[in-house]
Amino acid sequence: MSCTEPLRLSAAPKAGVRGPHERRFNPYDHNGGTVLAVAGTNFAIVAGDTRMSSGFNILSRNQSKLLQLTATTVLATGGFRGDVSTLQKLLKAKLVEYEHKHGEPMKVHAIAQMLANTLYGRRFFPYYTWNILSGMDENGVGCVYSYDPVGNYERVRVNVTGSGEPLIQPLLDNQFERQHQQLASKPPPLSVGQDLAEATAIVKDAFYSAGERDIYTGDTMEVCVITKDGVKLESFELNVD
Amino acid sequence: MLPSSAPLHEALGLGGFNFDNTRRNQVLGAQGVAAPRVKKTGTTIVGVVYKDGVVLGADTRATEGETVCDKNCEKIHYIADNIWCCGAGTSADTEATTQLVSSQIELHRLATGKAPRTITALTMLKRKLFQYQGNISAALVLGGFDCNGPSLYTVYPHGSTDSLPYVTMGSGSLAAMAVFEAEYKDAMSVEEAKALVQAAIMSGINNDLGSGGSVDMLVINKDGNTVLRNVVRPNERKFRKAGGYSFPKGTAKVLTQTFTPLSSLPIDVTTTRSPAAMEVG
Amino acid sequence: MASALDYTLPVGAHGTGAADRLAPQLLDAAPMLPDPSERCPGVEKHVRMLHGTTTLAFKYQGGVVVAVDSRASAGAYIASQTVKKVIEINPFLLGTMAGGAADCSYWERYLGMRCRMFELDQKKRISVAAASKILSNITHSYKGYGLSMGTMICGWDESGPQIYYVDSDGDRLHHHLFSVGSGSTFAYGVLDTGYRYDLTKDEALALAQRSIFAATYRDAYSGGTVRVYHIDQKGWQRMSETDSMELYFKFRQEKA
Repeated sequence: MSCTEPLRLSAAPKAGVRGPHERRFNPYDHNGGTVLAVAGTNFAIVAGDTRMSSGFNILSRNQSKLLQLTATTVLATGGFRGDVSTLQKLLKAKLVEYEHKHGEPMKVHAIAQMLANTLYGRRFFPYYTWNILSGMDENGVGCVYSYDPVGNYERVRVNVTGSGEPLIQPLLDNQFERQHQQLASKPPPLSVGQDLAEATAIVKDAFYSAGERDIYTGDTMEVCVITKDGVKLESFELNVD
Repeated sequence: MLPSSAPLHEALGLGGFNFDNTRRNQVLGAQGVAAPRVKKTGTTIVGVVYKDGVVLGADTRATEGETVCDKNCEKIHYIADNIWCCGAGTSADTEATTQLVSSQIELHRLATGKAPRTITALTMLKRKLFQYQGNISAALVLGGFDCNGPSLYTVYPHGSTDSLPYVTMGSGSLAAMAVFEAEYKDAMSVEEAKALVQAAIMSGINNDLGSGGSVDMLVINKDGNTVLRNVVRPNERKFRKAGGYSFPKGTAKVLTQTFTPLSSLPIDVTTTRSPAAMEVG
Repeated sequence: MASALDYTLPVGAHGTGAADRLAPQLLDAAPMLPDPSERCPGVEKHVRMLHGTTTLAFKYQGGVVVAVDSRASAGAYIASQTVKKVIEINPFLLGTMAGGAADCSYWERYLGMRCRMFELDQKKRISVAAASKILSNITHSYKGYGLSMGTMICGWDESGPQIYYVDSDGDRLHHHLFSVGSGSTFAYGVLDTGYRYDLTKDEALALAQRSIFAATYRDAYSGGTVRVYHIDQKGWQRMSETDSMELYFKFRQEKA
């Protein structure tokens, strides 16, 4: 056995091993939770839980992740609450400005593009947010836009994001997109085939299942149903553990 | 004669942990290959001494990271009829450690012909954990009733111990301790003690994301033990879609089909024992 | 024996402080550019990018064929199977998407705006060369900031069909055939084998689809739908959108 290291007290610092390093503030946290949206033929459903957590602690049991932007559009946002609030505040201001300038509320496809531009504006210091925008398009069909944090977006039939995503997305793919169902008819081009009652039941089932297995999803689920007549909000109790 | 291929500690029959791949795993870790995630009992476990004995309590959630992998696991482990132990930390470690000590205690009981003492189990546990320098990730609450009356201890993963009238462990320990600090009294009745333990566990279940599910309790006193499994189940599923999900036959595409009759399989008769050998006289 | 290799820069009189030890590195290293993932540790794990893709484009006697897959993945997780990786810049220009999805879609939308400005200003359509140059000027000016794009700007202008490859390193290449993305090697294998300039239109479309399919088959990060576009002097046209699983069964049957 050979020992090339000279004997040294373990507490003695090793000279010159550690280079200079910088300590810094980390501006991000992950506050958990799940949001989901489904586009129907004449409705849209947006849902989210109301738990806000950090690490193993619950910071709030009643923090909504949904924000109504116009009479028929709702934005659902998960991620870091600090960025969510900042983004929501900014979007509300932009919508007010638009309405004053143009004398009418912004249409959902325009809000979708504006949100993408807003997110991309912070490309090099991103909003740590996952967004789903939902509303009614100009033909009265429900619409859902899904985003990444830096503003890439696409129109989809159904989307879920947040801590429950890996648990819920496969269910949505199977039930709404009819994936891997050889005998089932394919959904319409821009929406799902289910009616409002059936779609709501699947959405609720998805949240109750995620609440059982994802520690960051729980407390309450809010369900917004958007139709041409406006937005209706309902709440359901999830488990609190 | 030592078999040359076997590692030395195995050849010598020393047992214990195998550290052969430690350095390899460190290198892999540095290259960004994550170690496999182990099942942890995020956990709230508590114990309290009352007038005539000890009450232990635990939640029932086991997690792997942010996912709940068992909604109703058992965290109060048997050591002896009069000694039980709640475990927090890595499931495998708490189970293996308590089972080992349970066996040793039973052998000790048979050798001495006397009822085992809680302090004996405590000493075995702390020696084991200290020997492995915290590598066994077990944080325990040990409770028992022996010739010296009731006793309650905590054991930390590095082997240090405490003896206290009310204790909590695990990620929910602060939530549970908050309840104990507010409500604990000396010389409580069994009903008071059970209500207190239940409230402490419920506090962990509700306020700590690592804890959840139901409440398990266990009472030990001079008359023996009472297992109170799932005394409260506050987190049953509240909604299920009517009609469920059904998939007609043919949902999954059949690509190929083959049929092999059992009789055509080659059966090795030489390894089957003859019926005569199985007869017992 | 002292040699030139032993020479170190004289840094400070004391030579023991942290800043002094750092100084030679600072002097030797390449210019330091801001790295967003440095500034926000951990963010790269969460800010999802479109990594893993197969895109291709080639010129032939009838114009340009563009084909792409539709998968977006985040590590082992498939984030989307329905991404539109062909960006319709204007009726005569297409851009493809590989790398950061938001980077490609944002800057190619911006490029569409710049091309329209050119049209209004010059009263004629912009050349593919000029359009791709606008984009490569942008990527070059952001070099080192962490943009991630590998795109083909394809179109038909006064001088006929054109393909330019532009990426976030600032490269801009002009050629008759490209494939970009993690599955590009698989696509090239099929494409180079079957490619001839004098392919018929049907043959060219089939070759493009078969090449992307080959990539979806062998590259785990490519998949979903195979989309094929065609460009001629009348502008681009969407030719087909086919699920890669359907193609698998089709090609398997043809082989049998």
